[in-house]
Amino acid sequence: MINILIVDDEELFRIMLKEMVEREGHQARTAANGNEALKAVQQQRPDLIITDILMPEKDGIELIADLSRSGSQIPIIAISGGRRSISLEFNLESAALMGVRATLPKPFTREALRRALADALAH
Amino acid sequence: MPASTITLRYAELLQQAVFAEDSLAIEAALTAAADLGRELVVLEIPLEEVGEMHHEALIQLGKTHPDLLLAQVAERITVPLMEAYMAYSLAFRVQLEHRTEMIVNARLEQSRRLEAIGTLAAGIAHDFNNILGIIVGFSELLGDELAPDSSAQHHLSFIQQASFRARDLIARMLTFARTMADTPTPVEIVTLIGDTILLLRASLPIGIRLEFITTVPSASVLAEASQIQQILMNLCINAADAIGNQQGAITIELKLLPATPTQRAMVRLTVQDDGEGMPPDICQRVFDPFFTTKAPGKGSGLGLSVIHGLVGKLGGMIAISSTPGVGSRFIIDLPQLVDSPARN
Repeated sequence: MINILIVDDEELFRIMLKEMVEREGHQARTAANGNEALKAVQQQRPDLIITDILMPEKDGIELIADLSRSGSQIPIIAISGGRRSISLEFNLESAALMGVRATLPKPFTREALRRALADALAH
Repeated sequence: MPASTITLRYAELLQQAVFAEDSLAIEAALTAAADLGRELVVLEIPLEEVGEMHHEALIQLGKTHPDLLLAQVAERITVPLMEAYMAYSLAFRVQLEHRTEMIVNARLEQSRRLEAIGTLAAGIAHDFNNILGIIVGFSELLGDELAPDSSAQHHLSFIQQASFRARDLIARMLTFARTMADTPTPVEIVTLIGDTILLLRASLPIGIRLEFITTVPSASVLAEASQIQQILMNLCINAADAIGNQQGAITIELKLLPATPTQRAMVRLTVQDDGEGMPPDICQRVFDPFFTTKAPGKGSGLGLSVIHGLVGKLGGMIAISSTPGVGSRFIIDLPQLVDSPARN
């Protein structure tokens, strides 16, 4: 069992994903954006972070950049509804370049989530 | 008036001009012929056909009046007609240029519209995938609570199948949107830089002077306009940060590097500032992902590494030189598109 921090601005998605990882036998907390996530990390270091990319206030890319600069070694799985945006916004490809352990395009199955968790924790 | 009627009318006018008793009547016939000429311009009858029409009318004239003197025809018709013909060809050219311009503008407008649709489609696709994520996730959770092989379990699997069909549809829509908006096209860089500078002027501090010097009136590269804008805006914003609250200048320079035996023709874009500059150890690291000298929260440090990647994708090169206290200069060379209309 590991502690997972779920970061997503969509409340229903947070409820769903929390339930899903709990049924996989893990513990989960949630945050609605990058700022909330950084606070949650300071309070209690999670074993793994699953973060959305496009969020208001601090987005997933900024969160990953902040954690990386602070020397954090917490493995990250990036999730997003946009695989590759056509505008200048960042996306899963950018997240992959930034060294996240796994990326998951939304919508994903529980099986895909299991594989991503295994990949992220295997390092 | 249909073209065949014009031919007949033209033959009539020629006869009137040739057999007129006085110079006023000749003048009247030629004026009427000129009106006819304007009508031909409106109908966009090609010049060759107009020549053909004239030839036909002359043959008719020769057949019906075998005794007609060639000198009479030349004096009364050929000379004024030569002038009319030149005026006609000029009018035709102007009209052709106007039409070409209209077609080019319409294409440009269409591609802008397609780009807007593409951006919209990508936004919708993103929101839909988030919603589908919730539906698929909860239906999988619901599956745990239903008896295997129950009809409820079957119904649930149909919901999931339909959700994944929707996901595939969205993926196709995104691919379509991408091919519309991401296709590299010839970009006329002088105009684009001018437009981008207008945007930048509005967002940079007043104390910063922004200058654009170009040695060529136009130059084209194969790229997406947004990529060039992203490169330029990032470099200028960095330059403005280096100048800070002082008075300063950012100079954007554009010139062409002609092809050599080892190097194809390039467009050289230089962005220079008289800001604080950087020591060599920082210079060496500016293109590294996450490297930043800005305060936390002020930048992800991805700007220059993204630009480095972009320039590489466009087949170009980027270099930096900097002196502390003097300023920094970024040099970007992009392959020049020499077979484009913008060259002329």
